[in-house]
Amino acid sequence: MRLPDRVTGLFLVGLGAAAAYGGWQLPPVPGQPVGPNVFPLVIGSGLALCGLAIAFGIGHSFEEEEELVPLEPGQAPPPTGKLYGLRALLPPALLLFYVAVADRLGFIITAALIVYVTASALGARWKLSLPLAVLAPIGIHLIFSKLLRVPLPAGLLPMPW
Amino acid sequence: MLNTLIEAFALISTWEVIIALLAASVYGLVIGSLPGLSATMATALLVPVTFYLSPIAAIATIVAASSMAIFAGDIPGALLRIPGTPASAAYADEAYAMTRKGEAERALGAGVWFSAVGGIAGTLSLMILAPPLAEIALSFSTFEYFWLAFLGLMCATLVARSSPVKAIASMFIGLLVACIGIENPGGVPRFTFGMTDLFGGIEPIPALVGVFAVAQVMRAMLTPEPPPIPKRKFGSIMAGQWKLTRKYHRQMTRGNIVGIIIGVLPGAGADMAAWVSYAMSKRFSKEPEKFGTGHVEGLVEAGASNNASIASGWVPSLLFGIPGDTIAAIAIGVLYMKGLNPGPTLFTEKASSMYAIYLMFIIANIMMIPLGIVMIRLASHVLRAPRSTVMPVIMLCCAVGSFAIGNNMFGVVTVATFGIIGYVMEENGYPVAAMVLGIVMGTMIEQSFVTSLIKSDGSVLPFFERPIAAILAAMAIGALIWPVLVWVWRRLKRGAASPAASAG
Repeated sequence: MRLPDRVTGLFLVGLGAAAAYGGWQLPPVPGQPVGPNVFPLVIGSGLALCGLAIAFGIGHSFEEEEELVPLEPGQAPPPTGKLYGLRALLPPALLLFYVAVADRLGFIITAALIVYVTASALGARWKLSLPLAVLAPIGIHLIFSKLLRVPLPAGLLPMPW
Repeated sequence: MLNTLIEAFALISTWEVIIALLAASVYGLVIGSLPGLSATMATALLVPVTFYLSPIAAIATIVAASSMAIFAGDIPGALLRIPGTPASAAYADEAYAMTRKGEAERALGAGVWFSAVGGIAGTLSLMILAPPLAEIALSFSTFEYFWLAFLGLMCATLVARSSPVKAIASMFIGLLVACIGIENPGGVPRFTFGMTDLFGGIEPIPALVGVFAVAQVMRAMLTPEPPPIPKRKFGSIMAGQWKLTRKYHRQMTRGNIVGIIIGVLPGAGADMAAWVSYAMSKRFSKEPEKFGTGHVEGLVEAGASNNASIASGWVPSLLFGIPGDTIAAIAIGVLYMKGLNPGPTLFTEKASSMYAIYLMFIIANIMMIPLGIVMIRLASHVLRAPRSTVMPVIMLCCAVGSFAIGNNMFGVVTVATFGIIGYVMEENGYPVAAMVLGIVMGTMIEQSFVTSLIKSDGSVLPFFERPIAAILAAMAIGALIWPVLVWVWRRLKRGAASPAASAG
């Protein structure tokens, strides 16, 4: 997801301005010249300035062009396409999925689903991803719940230990 | 002195500490050697584990894992030309060129040997430098702390090999994240948008895990799998290292010293040390034309340098709570958690714990030699583990680890969010390390800034009046305008090269 510098720069201008405005709105400490509002004001203005500079391409000459590693003969070029880029959102989506259902389904089942989906998305065949989805959650549960006493949700499938 | 040393020995000679050291070493070696899994990520994922260990064992795991992972990054660098950690990137090409010449043993052996020597040199510097600096640090007021923290942030933006403007913007984003919560001079909820989960602010560790681990899994989704390491038989790994040490002792010492100096600077760590030392080695070499063709000289100097900076990077961390790099930032979090709050008094009040840290550094660096040799021999087996089995386990560790930090689900949300932020930033050339240091140092820099402003009645002049504050301020501002000078110099050189341009 490479965006032009102009877009990211202007986004930062907006973010900085919002932060400076939000900071300015905070109530000051009575009888004191500086309170919680000063720091966001400084940071926000600084960020907005940087954003402007980036949007105008200042400092671009310092960036190193990404080195493209030449493909080995026999190595397939990565597939391209609009939807392909969205695959990157899979890991954070799975983590949010964990937050949403872990309490109801329990750690083992949720974790097994996460492992299976991640492994398959990275190109593992079911012969590899299925045993992994069974073993990895049990192993992690053993380490974190049994050894380190992290209260992992039991849910539908409590572990015998 | 002798009593504290004996006490320190007693502290570290428990089974818990020994097992923690060994397990963390193996863990650091494996994670560091897998391409794409960096030393920072290895250390960050360890933090939830340290919660449940005694203070010394917790620090032992951090020390061992980070030292081993920095060395282990050389292994895929030499065998695949894919540096395992950013600190190995400086000389991955050189090491790979040696492998192609059939000198993989020599390259990796130099990596392990000079890393261990560098680590021990760095530890000695930590032992020698920290106590006198602590004396000076006792007289620091908020003005000095402010400039020191500011200098740290500025160095962090210089390290990033990207546009300095973008690096500074990343730093501001980090500081902005640190503004969230009620821990501010007025104690009012700031930027919480009415969400109670945000009242406590954003914890640095989940943010770090998100930026370094989740973002890496996200990248893996889009990039093709790196080629497996070709099976090969290794000859003797340590053979000839002693000869190299004698031949290049000057380069080694210079690497150690540069690494130590860069490590002591707040905000600059192993990555910068490796780049600077490699460049220096080339600049001062008698045979610079051999660089890039598989010449061991640069490897010696840079390898000696990056591990030296790991240990000396603990100087600003222990003294001021200002991290040298992202790994030190994690270490500071662990120190606070274990009641060893960084500060100059640490060296008098908790002297035995400090000696225990030194001892652990030395033990970890000695252990690095045998364990490193085993790891190099096993590398072609371990590194054959397909990415599709490693990444799912990393995902689970992210979820469980971030939950364990506060035992609430908001940590997992933080990790996911920062995964996206880190991924987008990295893709667009915004260095994430600067943001992470901003998050870690935000509260401290605000406190020292606001307290100083209150003391000076809103005037800026007292920021420059105390002598040490003035020196630190000059250094910080120098770091800020350094890129501008580089830019001007480049323009002048280009102008001189083409007279037509300078005439017009």
